[in-house]
Amino acid sequence: MNIRPFDIGMDEMYQALLLFWIPVAVVPLGIWVFLSFANHKEKNIGKFLAFVGFTMVCLSPWTVPSSPSSAAGHLLGAIVGPIVLILIGLYLISFSGNVPVGRLPKSDRKLGVFMNLAGFIWLVGMHWWILTPQLSKGDVNPYWYVFWPTLLLFIASLSSFSAIALLTIGVDRKKEANSIFMLSGLSFLLLFLGLNVDGPLITAELFREHLWLSVADLAGLLVGSLLSILVFAIVIFVYERNLPPPQTISPPTKDELEKVADIVSNHLGGEQE
Amino acid sequence: MIEKKLVFTWRLMILAFILPLLLILAIDISISSGIQGFDSEMAFTRFANATLTAYTLCSLVLLGNLFFYGESRNRPLAPLVGMFCATILGIVATIFFIDQGPMLLEDNGSVRAQAIYNIVHMLVSAGAVLVALGVSLGVTFSAITSQKQRSDFLFEEE
Repeated sequence: MNIRPFDIGMDEMYQALLLFWIPVAVVPLGIWVFLSFANHKEKNIGKFLAFVGFTMVCLSPWTVPSSPSSAAGHLLGAIVGPIVLILIGLYLISFSGNVPVGRLPKSDRKLGVFMNLAGFIWLVGMHWWILTPQLSKGDVNPYWYVFWPTLLLFIASLSSFSAIALLTIGVDRKKEANSIFMLSGLSFLLLFLGLNVDGPLITAELFREHLWLSVADLAGLLVGSLLSILVFAIVIFVYERNLPPPQTISPPTKDELEKVADIVSNHLGGEQE
Repeated sequence: MIEKKLVFTWRLMILAFILPLLLILAIDISISSGIQGFDSEMAFTRFANATLTAYTLCSLVLLGNLFFYGESRNRPLAPLVGMFCATILGIVATIFFIDQGPMLLEDNGSVRAQAIYNIVHMLVSAGAVLVALGVSLGVTFSAITSQKQRSDFLFEEE
């Protein structure tokens, strides 16, 4: 991809803040507005915000070329095609099967399989063909080295987990578990090939180095998230424990009990109505 | 016919999750008598940076969550302040440890550059994890719905 920046005559830091970081923050904000509000108008505002943020992040290699962070926007623009193809393909395959509601026509299944294959081949072509995301000719996007091994490793692990979960929790789900094991095996095979077969721009040695770094990344992600959840639980626990016990109320008086008995007796035996 | 069934245990599930990684390690070790390309120093730097960043970002998200937790209780300040302090602690710890020297500085020249790189790196990793989650769940769901419809009831033949 040939990136030609356009100059807007602004300080580089403000440029990055305005054209990369604020749009990055706007995407989850838009999604949150879309999911949280019931009003149609507010939902549309949420969708609009998320779309504008997403587009601006994808355009950041052109709008803020001086910021190294814009490489992430470049990667997003490069992978959005195959990822959307795969996810829509999966949606079509799932909902053209045996679902009680919202069933799609059977023909959508073929289209789903085709989209899945196309997305998958596109992603594989980014490693072993000419489709690798490049900031300039021969300069591979550094975040591609983070994304690709993490994706393959996590798909292999999660699929293996789902297949075993299906076998242990489900009843007579061997066939389904085998299909999921196939996905795990395929991801594993790609990892193995990546470790041993060079691509035109990515060598097996480089992939190997980044695979171990992505394992470290995933472990850090897990430990950090668990730590923050633990702190969150401690904060809630301490707050709840320090709350004063709820005030006890005096037992009902004789008059109140009689009144309640009257109301109950008036609502018994519906045959009178 | 009574089918033999695996029993659900968390040990089995964790093993299933880490099995691909263990297999790769086993193959790598048996082929090249060691883990090729593994730099323990770089891996530790990445792990530490990822831990600090994940803790801080996740705390920020949970801080936002706490705001809504208090909605039905006249928005008590105590848990908000507690979580705010925990988040600030994460930010201060990140800056402190990066500032200690080359231990957590990767190819970046300053604390700010490294902190920003960590956030972008975390967003990319989290994106990959989310996509993988979507693909795995999607394949599981499509595998289940692709099979012939099953009846939930067994009718006794008279």
